[in-house]
Amino acid sequence: MSAILAIGRPQLKSAFASVVPLAIFLALLGYFGLRAPGFLEPATLILILKQAIPTAVLGLGLSIVVIAGGDDVVAGGIDLSVPSIAVLSAAIIADQLANHGSAAVTAVALGFAAAIAAGAANALLVTRVGMTPLLATLATSTAYIGLSKVVTANRRIDLSDPLIVTLRDGSILGLPLGLAIATGLAVTAHFAVHRSRWGLRLQAVGGNRDAAEIAGLKVRRFLAQSFLIAGAFGGAASLFVLARGSGSTPGVAETLLMETVLATFLGAAFSPRRVVTVWGAVLGAILVSALSIGFGSVGVDVFWTGCIKGGLILIVVAASALARRSGT
Amino acid sequence: MVGTQHFWDREAFNGAVDKVKELGGEVLPVDGGRDNQVHADNHDIFLTNKVDAVISILGDAAVEPKFKALQEKGIPVFTVDHLSPYAINNTTSDNYYIGTTIGRYLADSLGGKGKVAFFNAFEGSLRICGIRAQLAKYVLKDYPGIEIVQPELAEAFANAPEDARKKTLDLLTQYPKGTLDAIHVACWDQPAIGVVQALEETGRTEIKVTAVDAGPDTLEIIAEKDSPFVANIAQQPRKIGSTSAENVAKYFAGQKLLPQTFVDVIPVKGAEEAKKVYAELGYGKLN
Repeated sequence: MSAILAIGRPQLKSAFASVVPLAIFLALLGYFGLRAPGFLEPATLILILKQAIPTAVLGLGLSIVVIAGGDDVVAGGIDLSVPSIAVLSAAIIADQLANHGSAAVTAVALGFAAAIAAGAANALLVTRVGMTPLLATLATSTAYIGLSKVVTANRRIDLSDPLIVTLRDGSILGLPLGLAIATGLAVTAHFAVHRSRWGLRLQAVGGNRDAAEIAGLKVRRFLAQSFLIAGAFGGAASLFVLARGSGSTPGVAETLLMETVLATFLGAAFSPRRVVTVWGAVLGAILVSALSIGFGSVGVDVFWTGCIKGGLILIVVAASALARRSGT
Repeated sequence: MVGTQHFWDREAFNGAVDKVKELGGEVLPVDGGRDNQVHADNHDIFLTNKVDAVISILGDAAVEPKFKALQEKGIPVFTVDHLSPYAINNTTSDNYYIGTTIGRYLADSLGGKGKVAFFNAFEGSLRICGIRAQLAKYVLKDYPGIEIVQPELAEAFANAPEDARKKTLDLLTQYPKGTLDAIHVACWDQPAIGVVQALEETGRTEIKVTAVDAGPDTLEIIAEKDSPFVANIAQQPRKIGSTSAENVAKYFAGQKLLPQTFVDVIPVKGAEEAKKVYAELGYGKLN
C-alpha cells in the first residue's frame, strides 16, 4: 500500500501543480464575472486585449530569449531589459517627433536602431563577455532607462503625431489596428519559433545546450540572435507604449517589466510541458491585463493588486518547478 | 485617482468619496498608484462597469482617449486638476493666484536677487503645473537680479521626496556654498521634503526653499525654527474633491456648471503663518 502511494505521489503532485495556476485564474475570472456584471461582455474583452498589447509584444521578445537560453532563471535565458529597451526607443521616437521635427519614419527608424543596438549590446555581454543574462540585462536595463531619461530630460513628452494616433484609435476590419498588428507579430513569432527549422534549432539550444553543440549547432549564434530579436520586439513595443500613453512618460518601465515577466512565465504554466512558449506569453499577457481590469472592477486597492500579482508569479513559478521536479 | 501616496492625493480622493457617499451615491474607487498610465487604463474599468459618472483626479494626456470613450458611451466625466475638452467641469485650486503669489514670495525670500534652481518636471505635460510655473517665472521677470539655474531639474512623479533628495545632493555638489540661493518646487511640495533633508544633511540651510501644496507634513517643516523652507501656498484638497462630487450632483439635478470651479488657496510665509494655517485648516496645533 505504502509502495503504491510512494509511486503515486509524484504524479499526483505533478498533476496538482499543473492544474493549480489555471484553476486559480479561472476562479478569479469567474469571480470577477459574478461581482462585476460588465466584465464578461465582448467590449470588455476588447479593452483587455488592447491593454495587453505592450506586455504581449514584450513577452514575445522575452519568451524567445528564454526559449533559446533555457528556462533556468539564474543560468538560462532571461532578458530583463526588454521593457527598458521599449522605453528607450519610445523616448527617442517621442523626442524626435516632438522636439526635432523629424518625420515619423525617421523617428521610428532611430528608435528601432537604438532598440537593435541595445539588443546587440546584451548579446555581446552574454555571448562574448560571458556574463549571466540575468546580471547582464539587469545592468543594461538600468543603463537604458538612464539613457531614456537623458533623452527626455526625465519629462513626459505628449504626442499627437498621426502615426501614434492611428495606432491608438485606428481599426482594420472592425478590429483595433494595434490589436491586428500585435496579432500579426505573435503569429509570425509563433511560426518562426515553433514551426520553422530555425525555431526548432533555437529550442534545441535552449533544451540542452551541450547536446545542441555536439549536434553541430552554433549555440552562441542562436543566443545572440535571441537577444537581437528581443531588442527588435522592444522596438516594436515602443510604438504601442507611445500609442497607449499618447506620448512618452518616465517611470513606465517598472510596471512593464513586472507584467512582462509575469506574462511570460505564466504562459509556461499553461503549456503541456510547462515550458515558456510564444503563445503562452501572449495568453499570459491577456490574463495579466484581465486581472488588472478585474481587480479594479471589484474595487481591490492598487497596492493589493501589485501584491497579488507578485504572489501569483510566485505560485505559478513554484507550481511549474514542482511539476518539473515531480516529472524527473 | 492617480495615486494615494501622499496627503494631497489622499485628501482629494477621500473628499470626493465621502461626499458621494453622503449624497447617497455608490463609489467604485480606483487608484493608479502614482503611475499615470495605470491611472489612464483604470478608466476602462469605469467603461466596463457602466458607471453613471466619473470623477477623475489629476492625470496627464494619456487619459484623454479614455475620457473620449467615456463621453461616447454617455458617461459624464468630471475632472480635478485636469482640463479636458471631454469633461463637464474641472475643479481645481486658483492656480493663477498660486503661481503669482509663490513667485512673489520666492523673490522676497531672495531679497530680489540671487540664483534659484527649479524642480519643474511637469510644466509641459500638466496644465496646472504649466500655470503655476509660468506665472511664477512671469513675476520673476520683474526681478532682473534673479537667475533661474539651467537646466531645470525634473523630479519623479512617484516617490518624490527620496528622488528629490538625491537630485538636490547632486545639485549642491555642482553649486558650492555661496553659488546657489534658493530651490523652488514649481508645482507641488513632496519633492521639497527631500530638498530640505538634503540641505540639512549638508549643512546648506542658508538656501531657501519654496513650493506649492502645504499639507500638514510640509507646514510642520516650515514651522520649525530657522527652517530653510520659507514659503508655500496651502491648497484645500479635501474641499476640492468634495466640490467636484457636489458638481456631479448639481449636474444630475439639471443645474448648469461653469467649465471650471476654483477653490481658494491660502498663502503661507514663514513659521508663524505656517502654524496659523495649520490650525486654520484643521490639522491641529503646532508649537
